Amino acid sequence: MTPNETRGSLARILLILGRLALAAIFIVAAYAKLRPQAAVPWSGASIKTSLSLFAMQVDSYQLLPPQLVSPVAHLLPPFELFLGLWLLSGVFLPYSALVTSLLIAAFFATQVRTYRAGLEINCGCFGPGERLGPKTLLHDGAFLALALAITIGAFLQRRKRRAESAPIAAVSTAQRAD
Amino acid sequence: MISRTNRHFIRRRAPGAQWATAVLIAFAVFAPTSSGQTTTPTSAKSSTPAHKRAAADAAPGAPVKTIGNRNAPITMEVFSDYQCPSCGSFFENTLRAMIQDYVANGKVYLVHHDFPLQMHTYSGQAARWANAAAMIGQFQDVDAALFDNQAKWPVDGDIEKYVAGAISPANFKRIQGILKGCTAAPPTSKADRTVPQVDPGCPVDQYIVQDIVLGYQVPVQATPTFIIHYKGQSYPASSGIITWPILKQFFDTLLSQ
Repeated sequence: MTPNETRGSLARILLILGRLALAAIFIVAAYAKLRPQAAVPWSGASIKTSLSLFAMQVDSYQLLPPQLVSPVAHLLPPFELFLGLWLLSGVFLPYSALVTSLLIAAFFATQVRTYRAGLEINCGCFGPGERLGPKTLLHDGAFLALALAITIGAFLQRRKRRAESAPIAAVSTAQRAD
Repeated sequence: MISRTNRHFIRRRAPGAQWATAVLIAFAVFAPTSSGQTTTPTSAKSSTPAHKRAAADAAPGAPVKTIGNRNAPITMEVFSDYQCPSCGSFFENTLRAMIQDYVANGKVYLVHHDFPLQMHTYSGQAARWANAAAMIGQFQDVDAALFDNQAKWPVDGDIEKYVAGAISPANFKRIQGILKGCTAAPPTSKADRTVPQVDPGCPVDQYIVQDIVLGYQVPVQATPTFIIHYKGQSYPASSGIITWPILKQFFDTLLSQ
């Protein structure tokens, strides 16, 4: 195996691991928001209650008007779950990673703004209980860096794959012409 | 051709392993979240609301810092500091509407807990006035007066003036009588979570300290912090300002179950 091939394999493995980590983060985040927040079994009512509780956390950021808080709070956890599964599937990875990066960037910007404003609230990132502070900013910053690295890596890998397959396609076309 | 096949093989091999890795990562990420949940208030420790446990321990004549019917389906416990701007805003914009609507209609029972912060010069003293008022059944009026005038009394610490304006002269005299022996600095919560000292001559200090210790157990990390109980279940503590329409929506979701 040439050094170039070794580097390529390593990059692919890192991309897979990073993608799985990001997928896990989003699936866990969605699960933590949807699961019953009190000692009650899973049910439609328990999910509704959990989402209403999450709406209070969204509201505490004092960013959205009350009429938008509820729709955002009810759509965000299912969307996080969808993103997590999309990342896990690896289908159209550059685009799933891009959407993930944009979402985490939006979360991160909101958290920095809230922290700078001095609001002492719960983060709501992985369900209730975690206070928004330097630790939250640190882990969300790390998630953003990971998402950006995966996005860049996925686009680079796609470009490389296209570049490699182009001559083969050209040869195939030439052979068919013969 | 061979290299393309290899590449496809690398991309597609062992999909089960990828799922397994994701599950392992999920567990690793989720583990700290689970442990964080145990720190949430009464939910993890007991299904009995803290105020009921506190009330059971309280001696006769203890301050009643509650508003509404104690048999209401929802109980909301609020840990508050009279000098904290967020607490003032939460009271004016959310709790006031809640008291007029859901507390008055018997849907919510509101329990106030004092959690005066050390950094606020007069919040401990304000808590003393509120507790003394609660001892004679005047908590609601004094509580509202303290929050309504939050921008005024912290300027010079003249809390007395605003308490006097909220209740009858006779009741004000009774409150003054209760606080007569309060000469030492009032108790406040400490950053290192040590139990504050009680002024032995001040009959209300023990109740403020009781609330502060209860707050340490939640743990209250910022004010206002509130906990909601419904049908014997406690929901995790929330902090910060929540608007009334959103809080109402949560109550409606609980009540519709």
